[in-house]
Amino acid sequence: MIIFPLYMSGKIHSMISTIINERAKGNPSLESSTRTKLILKGIDPSNFSEKSEDDPVIIEKLLKVASDMGITLKV
Amino acid sequence: MVLKVTYSINPDPEAAAKEILLNCSGLDPSAVLFFASSRFNPESISKSMKNAFQKATVIGCSTSGELISGKMLKQSVVAMVCESDTIGDIAVDIINLNEPGSTETILTQLAGKYGKKPLELDPEKYVGIILIDGLSCAEERVMERLSDLTNITVIGGSAGDDLAFKKTWVYADGRVYENSALLAVLKPAVKFDFIKTQSFCSLKKKLTATKVDESTRKVLEFNNKPALVAYSESLGIQKETANSSFMKYPVGLISDNEPYVRSPQRTEGDAMYFYCQIREGMELDILESTNIIEDTKKAITDKQKEVGKILGLINFHCILRTLDLEQQGKTEDYGKIFSDIPMIGFSTYGEEYIGHINQTSTMLIFY
Repeated sequence: MIIFPLYMSGKIHSMISTIINERAKGNPSLESSTRTKLILKGIDPSNFSEKSEDDPVIIEKLLKVASDMGITLKV
Repeated sequence: MVLKVTYSINPDPEAAAKEILLNCSGLDPSAVLFFASSRFNPESISKSMKNAFQKATVIGCSTSGELISGKMLKQSVVAMVCESDTIGDIAVDIINLNEPGSTETILTQLAGKYGKKPLELDPEKYVGIILIDGLSCAEERVMERLSDLTNITVIGGSAGDDLAFKKTWVYADGRVYENSALLAVLKPAVKFDFIKTQSFCSLKKKLTATKVDESTRKVLEFNNKPALVAYSESLGIQKETANSSFMKYPVGLISDNEPYVRSPQRTEGDAMYFYCQIREGMELDILESTNIIEDTKKAITDKQKEVGKILGLINFHCILRTLDLEQQGKTEDYGKIFSDIPMIGFSTYGEEYIGHINQTSTMLIFY
């Protein structure tokens, strides 16, 4: 289980990185396909950096995405 | 390695299947994939193909045009016949699109036939083929769930009905299924790879979907303006005539510089319907069509340079690309691209590759 503290900035970026890393386990081809899967779900990883605002709507979406993929994230 | 492609234009399903069998005499296939025009009675063509290849797993679907090495066909049946030295193992089942949870259940069962869970299937050893009801509007839902559950690539197409838009069918071992998706998990005995080619470049103009009815694939607003107004303004065209630009200027999600095309279908007032779901908040690029023939040639040549000789190719080819080629009188040129490659394919109502896409060719290659 990965825990993201509430005060952390760039939370979305971290969550996306975690989803990609958990799913791809370092395989570049799977990293690419996981990024594509996120884009097709409406979350473009390239739009979020470590400085991105912690938008609760996107965070909620990512929690659902992670859950659907069998990855446990906790904010 | 034994893989053969063949076809029949005999209008009688039984005779067509017999002709295909005759063309494959001496083979002992483990798997047969066929694509048949909707002019064939569904029950008859499915049963006849299974009767012809009783020992093989026989799968297929209805089409809106067929492809085979060197040719684009109409009202035919095309088949790829593989012995076990090409397709080592194949597990097939049917996803009931009316049944919630069916996608997960079926994928889990298919993975279980290999003694694995879906996420344990090695994407370098296994590949999924999906043939799905092309009028169900369920493709995004099914593909998204499959993508959630497994790392293997699932590639395929939405079944057609020769542009009647009434009913499409998928076929498995002599049976016929409606409102269903056929999912096959293959363990090829040869190497495999993919080609995804769409003849578009980005105009670097962005449309963000700000109001959407996702269930009907309807976009009400782009950039907080009525969808058709925003689309027309971006292209500098009149909204009254924007319909005529839909095929040349679709929109796309960009991932790793690759567009995942969403094609406008029609308008309703200033709302736009698409052949693919667009979600609220999605940022899309407006795309401009390029040359299908040249782009496809390059995609094939590049892949041949990368992997060597292509031993077999399954081409899920968008009906909109077929219509475009027909308008330009270039279907013969397109067919010829594959003259030296054992290829079958069909004109689809949508293509599947990671997700559901439009105006694309998704290809599974064996090498």
